[in-house]
Amino acid sequence: MIRTVLIANRGEIAVRVARTAREMGIEAVAVYSEADAGAFHVGQMPRGMNLGPGSPKETYLSIPRLVEAAQRAGADAVHPGYGFLSENAAFARAVEAAGLVWVGPPAAAIEEMGDKIRSRTRMREAGVPVVPGSDPGAHTDEELSLEALRIGFPLLVKAAAGGGGKGMSRVDRAEDLPAALAEARRLAESAFGDSTVYLEKLLDRARHVEFQIFGDRAGHLMHLFERECSVQRRHQKIVEETPSPGLDQPLRSRMAEAAVEAGRAVGYVGAGTVELLLDEKRNFYFLEMNTRLQVEHPVTEATLGIDLVRAQIDVAGGGRLPDGWARLMPRGHAIELRLYAEDPVAMLPRAGEVLEYVEPSGPGVRVDSGIARGSHVGLEFDPLLAKLVVLGPDRKAAIERARRALEDWVVLGVETNRPMLSAVLRSEPFAAGRYATDLVSQLPPPVPAEPPAAAWIAAALAMAPRAGGAPGATRSDGQGGPADPWTDAMRWRVSG
Amino acid sequence: MKIVCGERAREVRLERDTAVLDGERLAYRIVEDGAAGERLEVGDRRHRIRVARRRDRVFVWCEGEVYEFAPARAAERPPGDRGDLLAPMPGRIRAVYVSENGAVRRGDVLLILEAMKMEHAIRAPRDGTVRHLPHREGDLVETGTPLVELA
Repeated sequence: MIRTVLIANRGEIAVRVARTAREMGIEAVAVYSEADAGAFHVGQMPRGMNLGPGSPKETYLSIPRLVEAAQRAGADAVHPGYGFLSENAAFARAVEAAGLVWVGPPAAAIEEMGDKIRSRTRMREAGVPVVPGSDPGAHTDEELSLEALRIGFPLLVKAAAGGGGKGMSRVDRAEDLPAALAEARRLAESAFGDSTVYLEKLLDRARHVEFQIFGDRAGHLMHLFERECSVQRRHQKIVEETPSPGLDQPLRSRMAEAAVEAGRAVGYVGAGTVELLLDEKRNFYFLEMNTRLQVEHPVTEATLGIDLVRAQIDVAGGGRLPDGWARLMPRGHAIELRLYAEDPVAMLPRAGEVLEYVEPSGPGVRVDSGIARGSHVGLEFDPLLAKLVVLGPDRKAAIERARRALEDWVVLGVETNRPMLSAVLRSEPFAAGRYATDLVSQLPPPVPAEPPAAAWIAAALAMAPRAGGAPGATRSDGQGGPADPWTDAMRWRVSG
Repeated sequence: MKIVCGERAREVRLERDTAVLDGERLAYRIVEDGAAGERLEVGDRRHRIRVARRRDRVFVWCEGEVYEFAPARAAERPPGDRGDLLAPMPGRIRAVYVSENGAVRRGDVLLILEAMKMEHAIRAPRDGTVRHLPHREGDLVETGTPLVELA
């Protein structure tokens, strides 16, 4: 019986897990680095453990500090969220060694899937097709160059310890390979502490479709349908949807079967995701498995009407898969938009204080957010601010709902990728459902909209010399009646 | 006053209930909506508006779009000078591959800037010599900070 769960994460996912914990009558305990003491997620939980000063490496990525915090908090379970240590087998083992419940898959499964070279071999043995790539034994520049000629260009150099779009680079010509290998090894060493790299054929115009799988300790393992994740920039997803507009029922069944097979091969328990690439000829290949909750899990929750975090906690506590899951059928269409703090054109990270923040609402609208008005967006963490998830009766209605809700989302003070999200939703290939991982690169760069007259007037009101009083300030000098524009400007609520 | 938004500039004058935009007169009125915030009526249309300010910058959310305004004077930036390579984003300098007076070739990676787990290589835009290297590994820099001065 889990009574207290330490959430070893920050941002929107920490808040999201805490919500479910509270619904289950479980006390959620936050963790935070000293610099993060005022962060939004900390205020959303009744208790928080200070991980001390230092960089993310010394705090959110410190196994000893997290385990110690869990014990100090009297927690009996640890939920890792995604990112940070969620796919770290040593962390899973340390949590269990401390006598706590690890809300995640067995450490062995994490290890098996964490090494991308090993997992490719494992999948091939299990009969799951993998993307053509270099031989597991090829390591030196010479060996990999030969493999590259066999595989053909363009190809991807990938870090064996990578994943989630991190640690990979595209190579188009043989002469660029040595430099790309050196760069990739350096990056892999610094990001993952392991410089091993391998090559994978780059499937141009492929779709990225993943399957949610879920297992319990009684040996049940099932899939929870797919998520289409082809809208990406820099190999990172920005829009996801389910069902995938690229699958028909027979293909869906075959891919789902392969995904379950992949999970079975490593004795999977809990929530996991099998990522597959689907080429233009409708061949599919195993890409990688994420042994944790995915960022985009809410679209699955929306169409199936389930709570994956609740099931994770139940299964971690020894429970079985919910009875009703055997008859689950998706209803409607769900889309997730990821809001990042970044320059909308150059797509580079942005920092700053959130001066104003208002979330969209209405039927079929869910926001999982890690920020609020006054939040400071720093550069030391992932730039994901929040996610908007909409559910509509069908794909067209879901897109329309996503557009409306995106319009209603107010974030001022920090630049975001909203113009890019809006451009995706309005693009013809997305509307038609005929798009692949190259969609974002095919879109014209967002052009700043022409401000309407109302925006110019609002700006002028905010800049007016006497508008700088504190919000709610009233004038006591008897000057200016209610119709005086300056008095109006003072009443005009200006955040910041 | 003259206000700029990106490449656009307009002269805006506020009167009692009229705004004059580049000479065009528009009736306006602020309507408070309680907790829902404010609306701005311009002519016979109501606009949902949110406004925030940081120093002399004004951010306006209006009907689903965000605009950043500044008074015309503040918007003028000093002209980009000489051969400075500026930081395209705020972040930490992860690695420096060149030294002062060292020769570089076009396309060489001069240094690596890291922000939010993302690395960005600063490359030489042309052949040249590093005249000045104001920062070292580990330094935090803001957007627009000169990183390398090429001669």
